Amino acid sequence: MSRVYVASVGYTTVGDHWNKSILDLAIEAGFQALTGAPKVKPEQLVVGNMFSGLSSRQEHLGALVVNGLGLTGLPGFKVEAACASGGMASLAVFNMLKAGQIDSALVVGVEKMRDLDPGEVSQALCAAESAEYTQFFGASFVSLNAMLARLYMYEFDVSRDDLSAFPVLAHRNAVNATHAQFRKEVSYEDVARSMVISDPLRLLDCAPVGDGAAALLLVSEDLAGQVKGPLVEMAAAESATNRFSLYERDDMLDFAATRLAAHKALKSAGLSINDVDYLEVHDAFSVVASLSVEALGLSKKGQGARDAREGKYARENGLATNCFGGLKGRGHPVGATGVYQLAETYLQLAHKAGPNQVDDASVGLAQNVGGVDTTAVVHVLRRS
Amino acid sequence: MKTHYDVGIAGYGVYIPTYRLPTTEIARIWKGGGAGPNKEKAVACIDEDSATMAVEAARRAMDMAQVSKLGAIFVGTESKPYAVKPTSTVVAQALGQHFVLAADMEFACKAATEALQVVRGLVGSGMIENGLAIGVDTAQGRPGDDLEYTTGSGAAAYVLSRSNPDTLATVEAGVSYVTDTGDFWRRQTEKYPRHLSRFTGEPAYFHHVETSVKQLFETYGLKANDFTYAVFHQPNPRFPVEVAYRLGFKFEQIKTGLLNPIIGNTYAASSPMGLAAVLDEAKPGERVLVASFGSGAGSDAFSIKITASIDEKRKKAVKVSDLISKNIKIDYATYAKFRGKISR
Amino acid sequence: MKLSISYWRLKDRYYRLVGVRCEECKNEFFPPVYVCRRCGSRSLTDKEMPKTGKILTYTELKETLAGFEDQEPMLLGIIQLDNGVRILGQIVDTAAENLSIGDRVKAVFRKIQEHGSSGQIFYGYKFVRT
Repeated sequence: MSRVYVASVGYTTVGDHWNKSILDLAIEAGFQALTGAPKVKPEQLVVGNMFSGLSSRQEHLGALVVNGLGLTGLPGFKVEAACASGGMASLAVFNMLKAGQIDSALVVGVEKMRDLDPGEVSQALCAAESAEYTQFFGASFVSLNAMLARLYMYEFDVSRDDLSAFPVLAHRNAVNATHAQFRKEVSYEDVARSMVISDPLRLLDCAPVGDGAAALLLVSEDLAGQVKGPLVEMAAAESATNRFSLYERDDMLDFAATRLAAHKALKSAGLSINDVDYLEVHDAFSVVASLSVEALGLSKKGQGARDAREGKYARENGLATNCFGGLKGRGHPVGATGVYQLAETYLQLAHKAGPNQVDDASVGLAQNVGGVDTTAVVHVLRRS
Repeated sequence: MKTHYDVGIAGYGVYIPTYRLPTTEIARIWKGGGAGPNKEKAVACIDEDSATMAVEAARRAMDMAQVSKLGAIFVGTESKPYAVKPTSTVVAQALGQHFVLAADMEFACKAATEALQVVRGLVGSGMIENGLAIGVDTAQGRPGDDLEYTTGSGAAAYVLSRSNPDTLATVEAGVSYVTDTGDFWRRQTEKYPRHLSRFTGEPAYFHHVETSVKQLFETYGLKANDFTYAVFHQPNPRFPVEVAYRLGFKFEQIKTGLLNPIIGNTYAASSPMGLAAVLDEAKPGERVLVASFGSGAGSDAFSIKITASIDEKRKKAVKVSDLISKNIKIDYATYAKFRGKISR
Repeated sequence: MKLSISYWRLKDRYYRLVGVRCEECKNEFFPPVYVCRRCGSRSLTDKEMPKTGKILTYTELKETLAGFEDQEPMLLGIIQLDNGVRILGQIVDTAAENLSIGDRVKAVFRKIQEHGSSGQIFYGYKFVRT
């Protein structure tokens, strides 16, 4: 089977793009990626997106973006897996390249969120959960994560400040990330005093709402020669699922989808979690970041938040994590998030991360989650 | 009104919402001090209506009755959640009862005793084995109106069956009396009712209740002394006490079923809930008078005799006194939010 | 999507907590499943769930979904029913400061949502402390 390489990446800043449509954003990121490797002509487009139908009354994103890019004729389709849509779009392309079906493809993750009212955003995000048994009763996506956080704090005696460690880390890392939505540090006090959204989760526990798009140009080994600069291999892309709703799970604090997907991805790449020296975790909520590092086997069960507070995931002397701010600091344009994570991991492994560069980064793992760990996509990237 | 078969009460259930509005709160907002005739009134929460309270009371009644099939479900209420779409079908679905005659009845505050008469007739004729009659209201008075002090929320449900060793009381006799009297009304699209103030007393409440009770006495050869307990409709704390004296009853006979001072006027549920409070403590062989009043106007009067199975049946009862004592006080703003007087 | 119709399909689930029971291993599930989670059997029949249980976790939600604004702040919990089944629902008639993990609750019948003053009212289960 062919090896898969990242030829180039593109991304918009994340935030309020009042002047840009969902297509404008997708094209901006797509053009950047295409310009980065001008000799590569994609044979396929896959768009990762969660709710363009709701946000922009626009479906059929595959053909829409193909045409916007001036590539009429190219096959294109959209992949949807809630907040894991971006990661899943990349996984779809990865498999096509692996199989030798194509030699190049463009992945674009995009989400337009700011055209919706906050209540409509909550509704759109909650579409990832059961319409009949979660949404019907008024439970928003935040409230599910809040119940998870309360259980986590109760079961493992996790404190408010422990839980704040990942948001504090994310904001510190976002300061130098030019595309990040919130480039300012927050203190433990800031998190603890921020507005309660769904007790015990506060505003600064939660990833913000923003517009954005990110793109990856992926090639097979036959085209690897066309790529300028250091080669970064997409060594593995795997996905897994958990029981659909949080309350259907025997152990609600076990991110089984993440655990399974990571296990498969590392095995497929012939690596262990200890080989990873750059990490992107899906920190949509503080508690989700903590449970994710536990499921990845990096922290013991119940220790994720405390480990983060003790510096285990700090850029300075830990396992460098979310160095562009993660979902919390860079922002979380839902369907684009998984692609941002991969673009950022690429920047680190290609040693193009500028002030955010982690010394000698060579193996990166990116975990993208849809729902409350209902779908997980894990990619392993390796500097060649 | 006689039945072919004797009809008894197989189970009863009451629901009183948790929240209480002290009437000093209404006075604080509208009259600048004092209180209403009743101390507090029961207020349904924002997510409660006549359908939800009817279901809760019905579940308790069914739990006590232990009958598997109902032949009829009548919900008596003047606060139907829908102008068109029955409340009784919601109750039927929630109880899993489908081969039933189901309908909503409206007759101001006597809709429930009307339902009791009809179910009594259906059971007493042999047409059905068991039937459910529910009185429920989330009645509302116009903000600041005298009515606002007394209009409370609550539900009471009765399962009637052909008299058998398991029925806890027998409905021995019942009469109904009506005239066209416009003392209180609400037009189709209006939110709050209108009333003729003092006219609601003598020509309305007193005339109809006194007439129905006297008719019951005459027809069945009964007198006030024959009853250990009497329950009258309770639009305020004063009327039921006054009508009791006029009919020859002593305060001792009415005090158990007199709930208005603590929960207000629960409209269709008012006299049925008073009866439930009596059933919570009555002894075998004792007799209870129940007389409702509905504006418009009319009164149903019943004589009910307690049977030997009351003690066993009562073990399943959720007592009215417990429902009354378990409560949360709210202020006028919360009440306004709960009852849709303010919304986002 | 017309909620009125999906709600109508599910009324026994919402009104009476009708889930399913596995004909093979007798385990019970709510929401209903198509395949038994314990033994893999597809023989599942409707079964009413017990109405009492305990709180596993809860939250007080300050920013509700559209259509629930008048119910803010809203208490939500994951409840373990006495047969072990876990379900999500609102907790009512109390305040957040009175709640603790492990509190006993029972199911009650309440309005879940309503579509303004002209649309339909949707009923279903919520929980109160006992």
